[in-house]
Amino acid sequence: MKLLTANRLTDGLVLWYAGGSDLSGWTEDAANATRLEDEAAAALLEEWKARETEVVGVYVVPLVDENTLVKREYVREHVRANGPTIGQTALDTARQHQRGEVF
Amino acid sequence: MYQYDQFDHAMVAARNAEFKDQVARRLSGELSEDQFKPLRLMNGLYLQLHAYMLRIAVPYGVLSSRQMRTFAHIARTYDRDFGHFTTRQNIQFNWIKLADTPQILEELAAVEMHAIQTSGNCIRNTTTDQFAGAAKDELDDPRPWAELIRQWSTFHPEFTFLPRKFKIAITGATRDRAAIRVHDIGLQLTANGFDVYVGGGMGRTPHLGHLIKSGVPGEKLLSYLEAALRVYNRYGRRDNIYKARIKILVSALGPQEYARQVEEEWATLDQAQIDAPHAEIARIKSFFPQPNYADKAFDAAAIERAKAADPGFARWMRNNTLAHRRDDHVSVTISLKPTGMPPGDASSAQMDAMADAADAFGYGELRVSHEQNVILPHVAKADLYELYRQLDQNGLSSANVGKITDMIACPGLDYCSLANARAIPLAQDISNRFADEGLTDKIGDLQIKISGCINACGHHHVGHIGILGVDKQGEEFYQILLGGRADEKAALGVITGKGLSAEAVPAALERLVNLYLELRTDETERFIDTVGRLGREAFAGALHEPA
Ligand code: HEM
Ligand code: SF4
Repeated sequence: MKLLTANRLTDGLVLWYAGGSDLSGWTEDAANATRLEDEAAAALLEEWKARETEVVGVYVVPLVDENTLVKREYVREHVRANGPTIGQTALDTARQHQRGEVF
Repeated sequence: MYQYDQFDHAMVAARNAEFKDQVARRLSGELSEDQFKPLRLMNGLYLQLHAYMLRIAVPYGVLSSRQMRTFAHIARTYDRDFGHFTTRQNIQFNWIKLADTPQILEELAAVEMHAIQTSGNCIRNTTTDQFAGAAKDELDDPRPWAELIRQWSTFHPEFTFLPRKFKIAITGATRDRAAIRVHDIGLQLTANGFDVYVGGGMGRTPHLGHLIKSGVPGEKLLSYLEAALRVYNRYGRRDNIYKARIKILVSALGPQEYARQVEEEWATLDQAQIDAPHAEIARIKSFFPQPNYADKAFDAAAIERAKAADPGFARWMRNNTLAHRRDDHVSVTISLKPTGMPPGDASSAQMDAMADAADAFGYGELRVSHEQNVILPHVAKADLYELYRQLDQNGLSSANVGKITDMIACPGLDYCSLANARAIPLAQDISNRFADEGLTDKIGDLQIKISGCINACGHHHVGHIGILGVDKQGEEFYQILLGGRADEKAALGVITGKGLSAEAVPAALERLVNLYLELRTDETERFIDTVGRLGREAFAGALHEPA
């Protein structure tokens, strides 16, 4: 099972693929990311890699199951999904999305 | 302070117009990311884990209050209300939008600032002593020389694509506060000109610079540097990014052979063509006058009374002020290391407050230190208590300069896409662990420096205690280095003991510090001196929990 993630070209913010065919199908909230089968993820990766005016740095995040990151990438992907872990930043991702931490 | 002339203004404006056009073409799809990435990096714009990051050059750490207010404005308007002061005396904003960047660069240009050469394999911002022009132990002011180097190195056509990035540091004081021995070139101003150290650096293979020449006269500095860079540019390893820094070349050739080749190259150069004429040096020096010192009579007894009445002020006076060349002034360090906060971060309100303090009490001048603090270089003693109270109201009165909680930490895995482990949360945990001011003062001078990976942006190789984040099969671990120092007795720390988990580090440091307190001869023997006297091995055991 996989997630597709990228940064939005215009502002650089982290996005998660959540279905659909244009940029509005991506979400800033990792909790809403679509869990993709491997082939679907591979096909979407190729498609979105080419859509450079919308997103940059597209890649696939492997999951162990729906809500568990692969251990090797755990910290990095956790930080990307939840924002910096340092308390003070104005970004309090969880609060922004009115939810707890994901993963 | 440096001043842009018409050429500087025109150059920066031309570059900004060019970049504005490049951004537009990137947004429209005319430029691909592969084409655009080197262009944005040339303008200080990185893509990090969460967003774009803009790195703005603060030339040799010197800032006016007006420039500081511009940073506050950028933080407030275009970022998430804070900025991060770095070990290269620069500032980074972590949440910048690509589409806003041309406008931000325009606003920076209006206060004579830019982000050019803050990335890439060129000569980066020259760094220096944050107390330049103010410190009592200074022989000569390094700023005019740093400015001379800036003018020479900015857009230098021959040195725009070096084998790797290139960093120069200068000090003009007997105490090295600029870490010159861990720079590609370190310059020590002496009564007889410059001592030139070459081949220092950190990263995965740290080296201390070697003295290759003494007494280069100021009027010959640029041609000598040009010769030194030419040899590097010609023979530096372009085939292997890990071997491309000058430190590798100098250690492969040997410092003597490198020095010989530089000498040979120097002799072939048309020096008169390169070196600044005497009048030009005098002109640059005239940009860095001493401030128009206010003759404010100060009442030593009144300061003593304030200290007695307000212990916070007494502690701040002891830890955050440095002797000034004038007896009626001091230099003040504003610590950006309050308990539990990310080292080097300041909010827009704090940036404004620092600018206000500089205007009210510091002749409008500020500096950024490589320790990630902000300095008011000239403050009349008569104003100190008033200044302290004003800083205190803005959360800027932490009195821990040089102490265990005055840590350096790179952005680490909270922001940086190259990181192996987080650095800031660890700094926060350590800061909370040693929050007791009495204890911190008792421990005395102790520098902890933390990097989130081997690139060493957090100077871990030269921390009295260095901490290096590593990744072990998906878990963050931290290696502890002991015995490093970045001053005039520069030394590289050595990894001591096994890697520790983040949770284990603060307690391990506490055991280490307790052992030091036990072993030191008396309170005048600093941590680094005790480690030097007894050896690192004497402390290795303390890092690990007794079985
Ligand atoms: C986008 C974030 C950053 C990236 C991609 C980055 C990248 C790097 C790399 C690759 C190196 C190793 C160079 C080498 O050994 O050849 C390095 C070294 C260094 N960086 Fe960074 N860095 C970043 C942020 C910072 C920050 C925030 C600071 C200041 C706090 C900083 C200051 C330094 C210093 C002092 C060194 C070591 C000195 C040297 O050997 O050049 N960097 N950086
Ligand atoms: S040391 Fe590593 S983690 Fe820290 S800022 Fe540099 S590249 Fe990033």
